[in-house]
Amino acid sequence: MSQNPSLTAQGLSRSFSGRTVVDRADLTINSGQVTALIGPSGSGKTTLLRMLAGMETPDAGTVRSGEEILSGPHTFIPIEKRRIGLVFQDFALFPHLSVLGNVMFGLHHLPKPDRVIQADIWIERLGLAHRRDAYPHQLSGGEQQRTAIARALAPKPVAILLDEPFSGLDPAMRDQARAAALEAVRAAEIPALLVTHDAAEALVHSDQIAVIHEGRILQSDTPETIYRSPNSIAVARALGPLHEIAASSLPDAWRAQLGTGSETLHYRPEAIRIGEGVACTVTRTRLAGPTTQLDLKLSETATIVAACQPGRALAAGETVRASLNPDFVFDFSDKPL
Amino acid sequence: MPRFTLSPRVIPPALIIGLVGLPVLVAIWTGLTAGGGETWDHILNNRLVPYTLTTLIVLALSAIIMFGIAVPAAWLTSLYEFPGRSFFNWALILPLAMPGYVMAYAWADLMGVAGPLQSSIREMTGWSARDYWFPNLFSAPGLAFVLASTLFPYVYITARAAFTMQSLATLEAARSLGTQPLGLFWKVGLPVALPTILGGVSLALMEAAADYGAADFLGVQTLGVGIVRSWMSFGQPDTAARLALALIFIASAFLIAARLFQGQRGSQQTSKRWLTPRRVPLRPVWGASASLVCGIILLLCFAAPVLRLIWLAVETRAVTQDLWPLLRTTLLLGAMGTIAAFIAALVFTLATKRNGALRFGARIAAAAGYAAPGVVLGLGALYLLKVSGQALSGTIAIGFLLWIYVSRFTSAGVEPLQSTLDRLPKSLDDATRSLGVRGVRQFFRVDLPLLAPGAIAAGLILFVEILKELPATLMLRPFGWDTLAVQAHAYATDERLPQATLPSLLIVLAGLIPVILLSWRLSRTERT
Repeated sequence: MSQNPSLTAQGLSRSFSGRTVVDRADLTINSGQVTALIGPSGSGKTTLLRMLAGMETPDAGTVRSGEEILSGPHTFIPIEKRRIGLVFQDFALFPHLSVLGNVMFGLHHLPKPDRVIQADIWIERLGLAHRRDAYPHQLSGGEQQRTAIARALAPKPVAILLDEPFSGLDPAMRDQARAAALEAVRAAEIPALLVTHDAAEALVHSDQIAVIHEGRILQSDTPETIYRSPNSIAVARALGPLHEIAASSLPDAWRAQLGTGSETLHYRPEAIRIGEGVACTVTRTRLAGPTTQLDLKLSETATIVAACQPGRALAAGETVRASLNPDFVFDFSDKPL
Repeated sequence: MPRFTLSPRVIPPALIIGLVGLPVLVAIWTGLTAGGGETWDHILNNRLVPYTLTTLIVLALSAIIMFGIAVPAAWLTSLYEFPGRSFFNWALILPLAMPGYVMAYAWADLMGVAGPLQSSIREMTGWSARDYWFPNLFSAPGLAFVLASTLFPYVYITARAAFTMQSLATLEAARSLGTQPLGLFWKVGLPVALPTILGGVSLALMEAAADYGAADFLGVQTLGVGIVRSWMSFGQPDTAARLALALIFIASAFLIAARLFQGQRGSQQTSKRWLTPRRVPLRPVWGASASLVCGIILLLCFAAPVLRLIWLAVETRAVTQDLWPLLRTTLLLGAMGTIAAFIAALVFTLATKRNGALRFGARIAAAAGYAAPGVVLGLGALYLLKVSGQALSGTIAIGFLLWIYVSRFTSAGVEPLQSTLDRLPKSLDDATRSLGVRGVRQFFRVDLPLLAPGAIAAGLILFVEILKELPATLMLRPFGWDTLAVQAHAYATDERLPQATLPSLLIVLAGLIPVILLSWRLSRTERT
């Protein structure tokens, strides 16, 4: 871990015309790591990012970079003095400037020759050397995005915030672009926040995931922990498919395995394994990329959804045997939401 | 390549397209073929060069003034919050309601030796009229000021659209990179918006080039004035034709420039997410200064001239004697012209929907009529009259006048119809046909009801444009067919300004209708 200060939000709140959009949000973004902020549309992701960046004034709470207060009860450092790098969803490149001009833009404190040298370093680092003099409309989506990242990183910001930077990219090139971009971001060893609504993106590419729901940060943890031990239904749902089932409709063997008294349980489709165990009838199969989603009839009234990789194509009406992996069955009965 | 299909159904629209384009073609043709030799040298040295130079000087000055007024106002109202912002936001469009000639009358009175400005200077200082210098409105800069103050909203509207719609994310990106407010304007806001703004300036200059009334009243020898004088007063049709050619060239150059600048918009980006215009509230002192700047613009370009006209009308109890007959002819000509131009606009919009060749022809014809100043079209009609051996009187004259209205204003009617059509799903046409409805039935059952909102706007705009039209009406009207605009101009140039106020105010009042429509449309597009 590097010694750059982390970016912290404490009790951050903001409402618009009476509607609370961000509600006492706490979040620590460590330097050298990518923290993903995920949540459905309207959950307050963008407003939280705007408050961190200084584009929005919080109603309450503080934003700090290390010990320095950026927003607080008596302090508000405006965006232009905050030194926080921003990467926008549509990249917001300056259409009247070349790649070099865009990357140099934030280096106005340096003399011109140094500006060019610094900008070239970042252009090189993001693999844009051959596009140095091109204008934004001549660039591909991926090149625009790397230009935006180079532009944000070049002035050596204290943190970088990325607002759904990959959603506009062609799915075929997204993975590669994502990996290259985030590598450069990590190398800068500053706190990085990646706002996304794509759970898979967050799980694969981040070091820490924070789930925001109705303006509140519900949980903030490593991808592994947050996926395996969500603290609420909303968090579990934010990270992948989640289904609900009445405990009474489960086979006795599975109930014994879980050892819970709760009536309602939630499970991920991968909790159901095909191979051995309880016999059930396939009622429907759907191919979902690498896995197949199966609807399995447990009893006259209960159906369970499984995601698996069966060795062969299964057809509706077939009988299969299924077992349960209790790790992906959650009991939220004593938790809110 | 546009698909070309020849069937009897294309003949009526093709005829209408020809009708719209013909007067311009005639003007260009006569301009190119008008007498050469010695007369030509004479025209070139004594008429063409001086008139063209004056016109270009006036246009250059008004471009600078418009830019200076409109760009700061648009920057303030689109990016900052200050007292009265939402009022100024739409009120700054109001000057569009004032035709240049009305603005000229009002300012001539305000700035005259006996006017309120000079009188109060003399009262305060005790000087006499010869003891001080006062700017002279009856000059090229004066005309530039008058034209700029009525036409700057074109620039204001485009600048505002450019500032709010396109660069908000870009501006925030610039701020996050440490750019201060003033740097924001010079380094990002202006350069990004410049192509769009220059498009607005070009359009406004095209309108300014078409002016006749203000220049004639202020005695500035622009091409428009030169054309009318050469034909009417000096009886030199060759000169008029050459001048018209120069004017067409200038006006269409600006139209082409405007279109080219508009085309560049493609390279700019928009993001719905970051579009929410969160205007930065200004601190009290700066906020008050912003209100003051906008207030002064509105005062100079609208409030002061209008109030002065009202005051003049009330003070002198100047009742225009023949107001009723004037109103009658104005409304009658306006209604006939509106119907004719509306039908042409409708044909342009619908008949060209599927036929590429027709669409191409219609665009050229409409653009030519739009760019050609009224003076030039009037001249084209006069040539046609001469060739056909008809006298300028009675029904023939009215027919020609209506024709010129159609030629000049069809494109103004096409615009709202086309934008309504563009908002409809493309598949609607196919759906209608798949249900076995086409041709006339399709027009009445589908196209017309759907176009209704645009049609109402088109009708209103056409009516007001025709009502404000001065030069062509002046050149072609038969005896006894004076309109409000013609009579106001006659009174004003006759130094009977008080009598000109009432017709002028009525024109401004009518002119407010399309401006309010426009302001509705703008606020709607800004919200979505």
